[in-house]
Amino acid sequence: MEEDPRLDAIAYLDRFFDELREEVRSNPKLASRLVKALGAQVVFDDETKGDVSNPYVLADGSKTRFYSVYSPMKASQLKRVLRENNLATSVDLRGKTPSQLIDMLYERATSKVQERKSSNI
Amino acid sequence: MTATIVAVANLKGGVGKSTTTVMLADSLAYFYGLNVLVIDLDAQANSSQILLTERGVQAASEQGKGAHHLINQFINGETPDAAPFIMPNAVTLEELRLAEEQDERRGWIASLPSHPQLRLQELTLEEDWYSKAGTPTTLAKALETHFRAAFETLMPLYDVILLDCPPHLSPLSRAGLAMADVYVMPTIADAVSTWGTKQFSDWVGANFAPDLPRRNFVIITRFRNTSYARQVQTELKEIYLKDRWFGPTIPESVHVLNAMDRPAPDSYNTFRGKYGGVKGDVRRLAERFTDFLTQRTGRTWKKIRD
Repeated sequence: MEEDPRLDAIAYLDRFFDELREEVRSNPKLASRLVKALGAQVVFDDETKGDVSNPYVLADGSKTRFYSVYSPMKASQLKRVLRENNLATSVDLRGKTPSQLIDMLYERATSKVQERKSSNI
Repeated sequence: MTATIVAVANLKGGVGKSTTTVMLADSLAYFYGLNVLVIDLDAQANSSQILLTERGVQAASEQGKGAHHLINQFINGETPDAAPFIMPNAVTLEELRLAEEQDERRGWIASLPSHPQLRLQELTLEEDWYSKAGTPTTLAKALETHFRAAFETLMPLYDVILLDCPPHLSPLSRAGLAMADVYVMPTIADAVSTWGTKQFSDWVGANFAPDLPRRNFVIITRFRNTSYARQVQTELKEIYLKDRWFGPTIPESVHVLNAMDRPAPDSYNTFRGKYGGVKGDVRRLAERFTDFLTQRTGRTWKKIRD
């Protein structure tokens, strides 16, 4: 069927926001970027935290906040965060418990931030 | 046995000197069991950071290790000896670490790291030298003499010494270039890098190595597989540098960028995990480079891993 060329402005916008809603549902990283751009504070559930959290940004804040974000995660999620942020290799992750993984994540992320952050910030 | 000194150099920055240095060190140690010493003469300390991490470079300096301590030795007129300033373990590959743990060391990497402090030290040294009517050339010669003496007792311990040279012609850089037996020149398949390659080739040929073509190994990195990049690559190989040895063309990859960011000083990775999609290229680099060294030195090495 051909597109109706006579849609009004609201209908066009509805189509656009429907597409955006669909994408935000299936793409937590995009959702995180969008709400950050809007300056909003939102809560992501534990399943998606691994996708949207940035350990470097969190390591630049308080240790309590860092641990509150990562403590609920399973070992597999923590390993993914460590690997995807280049904070550990598969070799480094062998045989580690969740608590060792969180400590490794915190220690390595804070070290990198300290090493790379300009000293006049 | 005495080490072959390899200068990894180009007058242009950003052509992959440090990445190439580390790839060569890893692949020669891993595939051929060579003992490699990496000397970082660049105050940017990039190859040192890649091998040891930023924290490791700082810790090394605090333990009295690094090229800047060797310069101090020269400034203070002390007996030349580089041994105390070398980090004996700069290995990042799990296979090499495990072999060492099982007393089966075959292939190892040590490092004389750099440190950002080297930049200030060079300036101080040059100001002092020139205030006493010295010249850049006499300083480069004096440094070369000190370095040769400082490494003399270490030469039998290594198969290859890789000098990561800075992209300029300071006396320190010239001392390194003068010591080299062979010159590895990384470049990129684009116009400005090709011009830089010509300048470097002309300058080294005129000042250190009239027989440069026989002593020159060129490695091209291709950022994108475009027809333009392939054309530049062909021109380099078939016209501008047609009398040189060429390594495999290394494709720019996310994997290599990640591989050059060691997570922590106690982090190790397997060769396959570190180099992923370019592991075949890195293997070919080692094969081609050992062929080049064999032609230069007459020494041969057997592959210990595939």
